[in-house]
Amino acid sequence: MNAFLHHFAYDFKTGIRDRSRLLMFYLFPLVFFFLVGGLMTSVNPGFRQTMIPAMVLFAFMCAALLNLPSVLVGARESGVFRSYRINGVPAASILSIPVLGTAVHMLIVAVIVSMAGARIFNGAAPAAAAGFVLAAVLSYAAYAGIGVLIGVAAGSGTASILIAQLIYIPSIILGGLMVPTSILPGALQRISFLLPATHCMALFNGLGGIGAGPGSGAGIPWFSLGVLAASVVLSFGLAAALFQWDTRASQPSRKAFLAIVAAAPYVAAAILR
Amino acid sequence: MVESIVSVRGFRKCYGDTVAVKDLTFDVKKGEIFALLGPNGSGKTSTLESLEGLRHPEGGSLSVAGIDPSRQPRKLSSLIGVQLQTSALPPAMTVDEAMGFFASYHGVPARQDLVAKLGLEEKRAVQYAKLSAGQQRRLALAIAVSHDPQVLFLDEPTAGLDVQSRVDLHAMVRELREKGTTVLLATHDMAEAEKLADRAAILLRGELAAIGSPRQLTAAGSRKTRISVSTENGRLLSEKVVFPDASLQGKNEEYVLYLSDNPGKAVAAIIAWLEQAGDPLVDLRVERPNLEERFLEITKGART
Repeated sequence: MNAFLHHFAYDFKTGIRDRSRLLMFYLFPLVFFFLVGGLMTSVNPGFRQTMIPAMVLFAFMCAALLNLPSVLVGARESGVFRSYRINGVPAASILSIPVLGTAVHMLIVAVIVSMAGARIFNGAAPAAAAGFVLAAVLSYAAYAGIGVLIGVAAGSGTASILIAQLIYIPSIILGGLMVPTSILPGALQRISFLLPATHCMALFNGLGGIGAGPGSGAGIPWFSLGVLAASVVLSFGLAAALFQWDTRASQPSRKAFLAIVAAAPYVAAAILR
Repeated sequence: MVESIVSVRGFRKCYGDTVAVKDLTFDVKKGEIFALLGPNGSGKTSTLESLEGLRHPEGGSLSVAGIDPSRQPRKLSSLIGVQLQTSALPPAMTVDEAMGFFASYHGVPARQDLVAKLGLEEKRAVQYAKLSAGQQRRLALAIAVSHDPQVLFLDEPTAGLDVQSRVDLHAMVRELREKGTTVLLATHDMAEAEKLADRAAILLRGELAAIGSPRQLTAAGSRKTRISVSTENGRLLSEKVVFPDASLQGKNEEYVLYLSDNPGKAVAAIIAWLEQAGDPLVDLRVERPNLEERFLEITKGART
């Protein structure tokens, strides 16, 4: 337990000390939040309805997709995992501690966005605080799971960036962060169900009592809840199964392609909806 | 009889179709310094990393302090200390944090005295990425010994170290042996192996080519003594002189090289001839065969 806390404390500190992590955790999402908050609320007052969850989700995506995979791939490629292994650091700690450390940073960012969004930009505050928190936790877990899985399965830093961008960019454009998915054309709406962001926004809307997206005012969005819960279980489970200590220990693993199984809940969602 | 703490029996390691180590067998006794020597690609690192639990053998059996490394890697990590040939720490981790971090996983207090002992006192607050290569290796060594391991694995421990750090490391390794720690080191530095090791094994293309104390290994090879002579006028270089107890081996810049089974007589004859020829002696070196020469003799033509 002492070792776990020691590791966790170190990881949390690194989130502030390491410039690239500081950028992805705080600078980039908060600067984006203030720019978008100022711009979008003036040209599209309706954005105030979803601004807070959208910007919280944006921060989660920056941290989980743009930072977590590169941290894991970089540590594996440089031999940090080898040092960990010979000193008895378990794989479970290697995978879970960055997720938990990042979660604390995301809690701080979520509080800043929620308070500043409501006070500075008149963003709609969540009607159900507990539901909002639950939606935030599940949304973060979904993106963190995907981030960890990319970090474990990607063969190189470049590959991890490309895969993460394949999810990150469409999530911003089609995931309901900037415009509600309900106003997208039919085909794009279906594609949007392939993205975790769409289901996260549905959760914020339904559980947090915010906005006018899918699930809003319809009570608990069971469909999106199920999709995200399945995604969390699959992505963390696959990450644990595919974890490798050493890039040199084996040939590029064919098993890495199993990571695609984590997309199953989203593919099912796009087909069923 | 001293018991074995590391046992390698018929060990085999492959990478795809390439057999890196085949049917390797040796024992390391408790409390000894054992060197693994061999040219690049001879299987030293594969053997060490398999003993450390980082790689799985394809055949044979391995035992370190009574544990099978590939079956119980977690248990093994508390009994061994490892300085890897290639490894790293998180770039933003400071020296102090690294000592505390790994000590917590070994369940021991952080040994800050080792930081001072390895010359990193002034670098306590410096991040790993900002340390020089030599400082990074010293930190890796401090971490490796901080939990008083029974067996210490060192893979090219002095690569990248300056002379003083090398001397300090050798002193530390000897000190650990005095305390009963067994040390397994892989090195390319024959002088280091000759100075430190109680026994050494020479690997060649993944097989054991020779094993024994440095003295035994050296004695098993050529027993001829090398005599190098340099003179002011270079008469030995220009004239064909035959000495009964020395055979001409070659010429190297201003030196003439001889090999001899009877160096006393050979040197006396050379000096007598030079005095007679009026060519004053500049330098004369008499060198017994060493481990490096024996190593080169064994590995001749086998470098990959």
